[in-house]
Amino acid sequence: MNAKLSATFAVVFTGAVLLYAVSDFPDFGDPRSPANHGVSGGAPSASVYYIKNAYHDTSVPNLVTAILADYRGYDTLFETVVIFTAGMAIFAILRVLRRDDSGIPAAPDPAIDGDHHRIVVGVTCRIAVPLVQIFALYVVAHGHHSPGGGFQGGVMLGASFILIALSTSLRHALGRLSETSFIRLACLGILIYAGFAFLPLVVGRNFLDYGALRALFGTDGEEMARSHGIFVVEIGIALTVTSVMFAIFANLSSRGRLHGGL
Amino acid sequence: MILTIASIALIVAGLVFFLGAAVGLTRFPDFYCRTHAAGKGDTLSSLLVISGFALYQLGEVHDLSHGWPVLLVFLKLLAVIFFISLTSPTSTSTLADAGWEDGIDPTIEPGRENHLQEDCGKRRS
Repeated sequence: MNAKLSATFAVVFTGAVLLYAVSDFPDFGDPRSPANHGVSGGAPSASVYYIKNAYHDTSVPNLVTAILADYRGYDTLFETVVIFTAGMAIFAILRVLRRDDSGIPAAPDPAIDGDHHRIVVGVTCRIAVPLVQIFALYVVAHGHHSPGGGFQGGVMLGASFILIALSTSLRHALGRLSETSFIRLACLGILIYAGFAFLPLVVGRNFLDYGALRALFGTDGEEMARSHGIFVVEIGIALTVTSVMFAIFANLSSRGRLHGGL
Repeated sequence: MILTIASIALIVAGLVFFLGAAVGLTRFPDFYCRTHAAGKGDTLSSLLVISGFALYQLGEVHDLSHGWPVLLVFLKLLAVIFFISLTSPTSTSTLADAGWEDGIDPTIEPGRENHLQEDCGKRRS
């Protein structure tokens, strides 16, 4: 059979199955659905447990962050790995590494790098980019108390580098965050998350159980140790998301050559 | 009280400019006129409306020791004003620039001299 036809069939079939399964979901916000119901099989359901105990367990006022990075830290770890994999897939598919046109030409060439020198855009971006980056760091650090966290802050930080590339040239942006750096940073983010998750194993506790790192953080209770642990993990997520965002932009906009571009 | 009246005046003025921008966006003849209406009208009206909000918030501050959360909202609104006044004109300028590079010619009324006649044909690649 034609490859395109079979691929279309697979996509349509999977979509149809997923759409069919949607009809079995409980209504949005239904109080009697299994996830929201107070008791399932004699024990309080997960949602009720989270709402009642999240602040007590982690001392993080933002329930979403507490669930995302602590109760479901395993899930979030692999979400970060998914983003990393997406970046590596873009790299593997698009990046041109042949000898004849690999590497970025030494001198800037207006014909290739684009003549983007517009004074209005340049000055605005020079003012805006640092503010965007500071706000992104604030979003990463303030995920405990307000909407935000590693993913959102990382996307904003990545967008600030994309803004540099758009307002000047891809060459200039790569001067700020080179290909080697963003690949290393993406790996480092995963390493921080997974490596930090391994630490509790050393003292005989479970993977991702940050509460065991009380002595490391020097806190009195385990809940503050969890709060600090969530912050470390958010930093790892932010590093990976930032570099993958910029890597995807750099590869897509220059067709994998990392010079020229938009 | 005075602050509330001033804020209402600012918000209403902003809405008038918003209406002007919307009318200009639908009624003006070509790309550049519409960009001009949308860019200028939108920036000024957003600034006026948000200034109105900021003044209204300032009216809630009675003493500095207890009113600082409200004061913080006021400062955040000022930051929003700063960012809009910075980015909105820039994006309008870039949009018009991109349109010109892309070969969109301004509409000239019949009978008027077209000062851009020489440039209009050249840019298309």
